Amino acid sequence: MERKEVAFRIYRYNPQVDRQPFYDNFKIAVERGITILRALNYIKEHLEPRLTFRAFCQAGICGSCAVRINGVSKLACTTQVWDELTGSGDDPILVEPLNNLPVIRDLVVDIDPVMEKLKQNYSWVRPAIAEGEMGQKEHCVSDGEFEAINAATDCILCGSCYSECSMTEVNPRYISPPVLLKAFRMNNDTRDTLGCERLGQVSGDNGLWDCAHCYKCAEHCVKHIPIVDGIHRLREEMFERHMTRSEGARHAQAFFDDIRSTGRLREATLPLRTLGVVKTLRMVPLAAKMGMKGRTPPFVVKPVPGIDRVRGIYRRLEANRAAKQGGE
Amino acid sequence: MEHKFDIIIVGAGGGGLFAALEAVRTNPQVSIAVVSKLYPTRSHTSAAQGGVNAALANKDRDDTVELHVFDTVKGSDYLADQDAVDYLCSQAPEVVRELENLGAPFSRFPDGTIAQRPFGGTVKDRCCYCADKTGHTLLHTLFEQCLRRGVKFFNEYFLLSLEHADGECQGIVAMNMRTSAIEAFSAKIVILATGGHAKMYWNRSSNAAGNTGDGQAAALRAGIPLKDMEFIQFHPTGLRKSGLLVTEGARGEGGYLLNRHGERFMARYAPQKMELGPRDLVARSMETEILEGNALTSDAGSYLELDLRHLGAEAIKKKLPQIRELSMHFEGIDPIEEPIPVRPTAHYSMGGIDANMARTAVSGIYAVGECACVSVHGANRLGGNSLLDILVFGKRAGQEAALEAPRRPLRRVAPSALWKAADELKSYTSHERYERYGIIREEMGKTMADKVGIYRTEERLRQGVEEIRALRERFRHIRLFDTGTVYNTNLVQILELKNMLDLALCVAETALVRQESRGSHYREDFPRRDDEAWHRHSLCTLEKGGDVRLAHKPVTMGKYSLETRSY
Ligand SMILES: Cc1cc2nc3c(=O)[nH]c(=O)nc-3n(C[C@H](O)[C@H](O)[C@H](O)COP(=O)(O)OP(=O)(O)OC[C@H]3O[C@@H](n4cnc5c(N)ncnc54)[C@H](O)[C@@H]3O)c2cc1C
Repeated sequence: MERKEVAFRIYRYNPQVDRQPFYDNFKIAVERGITILRALNYIKEHLEPRLTFRAFCQAGICGSCAVRINGVSKLACTTQVWDELTGSGDDPILVEPLNNLPVIRDLVVDIDPVMEKLKQNYSWVRPAIAEGEMGQKEHCVSDGEFEAINAATDCILCGSCYSECSMTEVNPRYISPPVLLKAFRMNNDTRDTLGCERLGQVSGDNGLWDCAHCYKCAEHCVKHIPIVDGIHRLREEMFERHMTRSEGARHAQAFFDDIRSTGRLREATLPLRTLGVVKTLRMVPLAAKMGMKGRTPPFVVKPVPGIDRVRGIYRRLEANRAAKQGGE
Repeated sequence: MEHKFDIIIVGAGGGGLFAALEAVRTNPQVSIAVVSKLYPTRSHTSAAQGGVNAALANKDRDDTVELHVFDTVKGSDYLADQDAVDYLCSQAPEVVRELENLGAPFSRFPDGTIAQRPFGGTVKDRCCYCADKTGHTLLHTLFEQCLRRGVKFFNEYFLLSLEHADGECQGIVAMNMRTSAIEAFSAKIVILATGGHAKMYWNRSSNAAGNTGDGQAAALRAGIPLKDMEFIQFHPTGLRKSGLLVTEGARGEGGYLLNRHGERFMARYAPQKMELGPRDLVARSMETEILEGNALTSDAGSYLELDLRHLGAEAIKKKLPQIRELSMHFEGIDPIEEPIPVRPTAHYSMGGIDANMARTAVSGIYAVGECACVSVHGANRLGGNSLLDILVFGKRAGQEAALEAPRRPLRRVAPSALWKAADELKSYTSHERYERYGIIREEMGKTMADKVGIYRTEERLRQGVEEIRALRERFRHIRLFDTGTVYNTNLVQILELKNMLDLALCVAETALVRQESRGSHYREDFPRRDDEAWHRHSLCTLEKGGDVRLAHKPVTMGKYSLETRSY
C-alpha cells in the first residue's frame, strides 16, 4: 500500500478566542485511498481535538461535510487525498469552510440562509389532488416526464454550488443556485400546480435574471447536476408563460431582437428597453460620463456581414420549437 | 431558557418529518416544533437506497396486503406483533401513494405507474423505489412539505433528557449545539424519532456517525423500557473497507454473490431464493464462507464478491448509479468492470423503545421509526420495511398527537432538570478526568463486532458484557478537552458515546440471556429456535446503580401461527 506524508493547511476560527481566522498546519502519514474526511478525522482524533467540522453519513449522500478543498467546494467524504496532491505532491492541501456563508467555527458554516431562501421560494410541490383525496390514487407519470427532473432530484443541499456562486458572492440576497434548481425541479414536475406563482416569486429582485452564467455552480456540483440548464429552462418558461414584463425578461428579449435584426447589440437603447423611461433617466449621469470619455455606444447599428446566416439560425430554432410544441 | 409547544418532535428523519406534517394537517391550531441534531435533509433516512414496500400490485397483479403481512411475520421469525404488522401493511399502499402525490419522484413502469422491484424475503415484487436514492428523495419530499406548512425547526439542538412527572409527559431538555446553551422544551406531547443505534459497531456498521440511539438512551434513563435489543441486523453487503452499504436492490436487480472459487455459494444455503434470501440468512452464509476460508483476502480483511457485470453497463448506470459511485469512491473499482468487494456489516436496530402502536409507557410520549420497537420487524427486518415503518407510524403518531394535544394540560419541565444537565456537562471538563473518547469508542466497536456479532456464544457474550461494563466504568472518567461553548463537537461525541455504551450493554445482556437462535440473533450454542421458552419479547430497564434489569412480554399473535422459517 502506497503511503505518504501529507501536509494539510486548515482554516481555523473560534469566535470565542480568536480575534481573526488563521491557518493551522498538520502533517500526517496517509495511505492511498484515504478520503479527506478520514484525514480530518485522524487529525481531530490524534492531533487537534478542537478542530471542528461537520460530517455524518460518510457516503456522499447527506451533504454535511462540504468544505473548500484547494479552493474548490466539495464533499470531504468523497474526495481522495491523492487526487488533491499538487506540485510535486508536497504542497499542503488547503481546507477551508464554504464561501458565501457565515463561519460558525473552523469549517462549520451557518446554512440557515439557504433554508430561508428555500422557504421563501415555494421549494415544494403543491399537488393538484385535493387534501381529502391524498393517497387514494397515483398520478400517472411517464418515464420521459420523470427523466426531465431526475437529475435535479439528486440535489443533497450540501451548499457547494452556493459557495461557488459568483453572484451570491457579490449579492448575499441573490436567490442562489440550489434554490433555482429546486424551482426548476418543481416547475417541471407534471404533478405540481404552483408554476406561475413560483416563477413570479423566483424572478423578482435578486432572482432568476441575476444569474451571470459563470457556470461555476454546475461545474462544481458534487452530484454533477446541470444546474445552469435548469436556470435557462426557467427563463424560457417565463417567455412561454408570457411573463415578459420584468427587467430581466425584457433585457433578454432585447438581446434576442437585436441579434436577429442586426447581429449586434444596440447598446444605446438597451437601458430604455430593459429598464423603462424612469430608471433610464437615472442613468443619464453615467451616460454623460461615458460620453466625456468617448465611450458612447453608436445609435445606429448596421447589420453585420452574413446577417442572413444569423437569421437562418433563428428560423431553425423557431421551427424546432414549433415542432416540439406540436408534438406535445 | 424555556420554549413551550403543544407537540415537540425529536428527530427530523422520515419518521419525525411525517409526524410533523401529519400533525399540522390534522390540526393546524396546535403549535409544533421539530428539534433535531442535524439539518433535516441530513438525517440518515437519506442513506436508504433500495426502496419501500407496499402491495400496490403494479408489478405482480396478484400481490395483496395479506401476502405482505405474511412475508413480514415470517421474516420476523414470528417475533413481530401481528396487530402492528397488519396496520403497517394495510396502510402501506396509501402512504406510498400519498408520498407520490406530494411529489416524491418514484421510478415508473412504462404504463406510468410506480415501479416495483424484488427485495429479499418476499414472495412478490413489491418494493417501490426512486432509482437507488429512495430515502433521499422521500426525505426531501417530506422536508419540502414541512416547509410548505411552515413547520418550525430547531436545527442542531441535541436531546439531553426526556422529562415526565408521574408518568405524564413534561417535555425535553436539549442543548443548542451552536452555543452549548441548555434549553427546556415544555410540551404536552413528545414524539421521539431519533433513528437507530447500529453505530455502536462503529466501523463494522453501515450507519452514519450519529446513529447513536440518543432517543433510546434518553428513554431508558427516563424509565421507559427498551424492547428486543438483542436483535441487530447485519446487512450482507457492506463495502469491505468502510462498511458502507451496497443496497439489496443490487441483488434485486440480479447481482450474484461469489466466493474465492467464483461459486454462487448461496445455492448451498438458500437454493430457492439464492441471493435474495432474507438478510439474516444471507449475512450468516457469508460469514460462514469467510470462517471456512472460502473468502478472498486483502489488507482490509476477508471479503466476498458482489458481481453486477452481467447486468450490463446500461442497467448499472440507470438503476444503480449511486452504488457505482460509492464503489468508485470508496473501493476504487467500477462495478461495470469488476466485482464489488463486500462483507456483512451492522445495519439496523430492530430493537428500540417499547411502543404500542407508537405509544410508550409514559402518557404523552410517543416513539416512531428506527428508535422505536413497535414491533413490526421482530427478530429480523425485511428490506424496504423500515422506510415503510417510519412513514406509517410517523404519520399515525402525528395524527394522534394532534388530536390528543388539545385535551392535555401543559406540564412544564422542572428547572432542576436544567441544572442537572448543566452539572453533567460541566463535570466532563474536570481536571481529574483522564480517559479519552477515541479509545473507548474504538474498544466498544471492537467488542460489539467480535463478541456480540453475527455468531454468538455464551462465552463470547459474557466477555462482551464484562467489557462493555468496564468501558462504562472508564467512561465515568472521560475528559472533555475542548472547553469552548461554540459548536463543541467533542462534547456531542462524548454524549453520543455515553448513549451507545448504555445501549450496548442492553444489547449484550439481552443477547446473553436469550438462549435460542431467532432471526438476526444466532447462538452457536443454541442453534435452534425455542418457541416454548423464548417466543416472547425482551424488555430492559435501567436500575438506579446503572445495571440493566431484564423482563419479558408476550408477542401479540394473529392470523399466522408459529412455523419453521425456511427459504
Ligand atoms: C445505508 C442504509 C440503507 C438503508 N436502506 C433502506 C431501504 O432501502 N429500505 C428501507 O426500508 N430501509 C432502509 N434503511 C433503513 C432506514 O433508512 C432507516 O431505518 C430509517 O430511515 C430511519 O428513519 P428515522 O426517521 O427513524 O431516523 P433517521 O432518519 O435516522 O433520523 C433520525 C433523526 O433524529 C435526530 N436525532 C438523533 N439524535 C438526536 C438527538 N440527540 N437530539 C436531537 N435530534 C436527534 C437526527 O438529527 C435525525 O434527524 C437503510 C439504512 C441504512 C443505514
